[in-house]
Amino acid sequence: MWEQVDRILRQATTQIADHIANFLPGMLVSLVLILAAFVVAFLARLLIVRALRGLDFDRRADHWGLAALVGWPASTSPSQTVARVIYWTILILGLLVSLTALNATIPSRLALSVFGYVPDLLAALLILVIGTVAARFLARSVLIGAVNMQIQSARLLSLVVKWLVLIVAVAMALDHLGIGRTVLLLAFAILFGGIVLAAALAVGLGARDVVSRTIERQLREPPPGDDKVNHV
Amino acid sequence: MASTGSNSSVQGADVPASRADIVVALTSHNDVRTIGAVARALRDGLARYFASSAVRFVLADAGSTDGTREAAREAVGPSALMEVEYERGAEELGKLPYHGHPGRAAALRAILQTAQGLGAGACAVIDAGLHTVEPAWIERLIVPVLTDKFDYVSPYYVRHANEGAITKSIVYPMFRALYGVRLRQPAASEFGCSGRLVAHYLEQDFWDVEQAAAGIDLWLAVAAACGEFRTCEAVLGARVAATRGTPVDLSTILAQVVGALFTDLEHRVDVWQRVRGSAAIPIFGTVPGIGPEAPPLNVDGLMESFRLGYRELREIWTWVLPPRTIVELRKLTETVPNRFRFDDRLWASIMYDFVLGYSLRVMPRDHLLRSLTPLYAGWLASFVLQMGSATLAQIEERVEQVCLGFESEKRYLISRWRWPERLR
Repeated sequence: MWEQVDRILRQATTQIADHIANFLPGMLVSLVLILAAFVVAFLARLLIVRALRGLDFDRRADHWGLAALVGWPASTSPSQTVARVIYWTILILGLLVSLTALNATIPSRLALSVFGYVPDLLAALLILVIGTVAARFLARSVLIGAVNMQIQSARLLSLVVKWLVLIVAVAMALDHLGIGRTVLLLAFAILFGGIVLAAALAVGLGARDVVSRTIERQLREPPPGDDKVNHV
Repeated sequence: MASTGSNSSVQGADVPASRADIVVALTSHNDVRTIGAVARALRDGLARYFASSAVRFVLADAGSTDGTREAAREAVGPSALMEVEYERGAEELGKLPYHGHPGRAAALRAILQTAQGLGAGACAVIDAGLHTVEPAWIERLIVPVLTDKFDYVSPYYVRHANEGAITKSIVYPMFRALYGVRLRQPAASEFGCSGRLVAHYLEQDFWDVEQAAAGIDLWLAVAAACGEFRTCEAVLGARVAATRGTPVDLSTILAQVVGALFTDLEHRVDVWQRVRGSAAIPIFGTVPGIGPEAPPLNVDGLMESFRLGYRELREIWTWVLPPRTIVELRKLTETVPNRFRFDDRLWASIMYDFVLGYSLRVMPRDHLLRSLTPLYAGWLASFVLQMGSATLAQIEERVEQVCLGFESEKRYLISRWRWPERLR
């Protein structure tokens, strides 16, 4: 009997030793990967902060309206935030890669599914950034143009354009991520259609006289500079 | 560039057809209403003042469809007119410059190449869309070149307080402060130049720049002022131009003219950083009195535009203007109309801040330039309120003060100018 116990113990010990022997290299690779990811993330953060400072990114981000959109706290500059995001992204990606090295089923699946989602996430982020810049640009164009045409509600027009572009950008980004596609489409259609309908009703019923007076004034009194004067 | 038509002299001087002493060039674009009278006036002037010289008429037409070319041939005789052809970019036809002449840079280049090819000692360029051209214009633009050996003759126009205000408020004062030459009309479409200057112009690299269609006249004046050339002014009296097509709105005119000025000064930093003060230049001809009828201008509308601009664009202005300037502007918006005065040094510093903002690209350049419109409206309202029924001498004196403001503030521009990294 003792021989049997001894054999089973030996077998168990051998199996455990085998498991450990199989697991250790993966663990070691995983640790190396985490360490490498940490080093790469640290270097990337350092380089990005320097590069963005060289490009005067903080001031430009402020002018593009990125700072206001993301809501950066005053204590953290946009370049630091971007560097931090990239730092953590690399670190998390490194962690996921290290999980696959362990050869465990669930962590590997998790890592692969997250990796599959990253391109969509980046594309959505890009859409959002482009949308924000476009909204800012168009809003400023409308504001300056409307002021030069002496339209009193220039600010309102500019805000309407800005938010319309932003809403479209957010809707596109969420659609790209596959979040609430049907609900989002419906909500967007209802919201957009509602705004157009409300504006049409407001103009047609409520502000008919104001609009006619404004058009009449525009036709009667040209804005300054449209006088028959040569300015050059 | 190609040319058509005969090379025979207008005055029939006995010279080879490939040579000319004087080239008189017309630039046109759908100017059938005026080109006949302009060409006849110039032809009469040539007959009167340069009967013994070999003269060529050159027409650079921007593809007129209203019979402009035919009217010009009829006025000077079909055999006496050289018609030069040049490339007109399709994009320029869609975005018409403020003077309504698409491809003007290419037209002027073709004219100057023709003048050089003919070996002309003097060349005069005149816009065919004017109502007020007289035979004496040709004498005023050519005699200083041929007789007094000047290289560049700029027109001196007699204008009311509310005419040519972009020139009075920005282009002339800044041109004078930067380059030290007191040319009152640096962006004029008419000028006379010597053969030597023609050769210099053709060596310049600004002909194919994007903004050349709108800025070429100004750039030619700058090139003359920055080189070793003798410049003068010639009194031409009033300048009344016919409207070409749909009028361009004020903010576009301002963006085109001021943008051309700002773009050019970026390339001539080494010149204007060294210039101190300014020098008067000779004026040919007697300055007549100003005409009685000033074109109407809606001063209340201009002031309202300024106030609206302050209310809505202040945030944009803060990107280029320092806080003390914003405070000054706020005070102005609260001023009653009879005390509404734009300080000259304040105006000069605003313009220099816009130059810096333009150079540093703090925002899209078109936005920056167009946001200047309400400020210009405020300046113009202030100027017209002060100069309501002033004489030409009083207007000149007031413009002189504006120019001195720009000259005294120039050190502010120099001190804040950001040199490119490679030159630091």
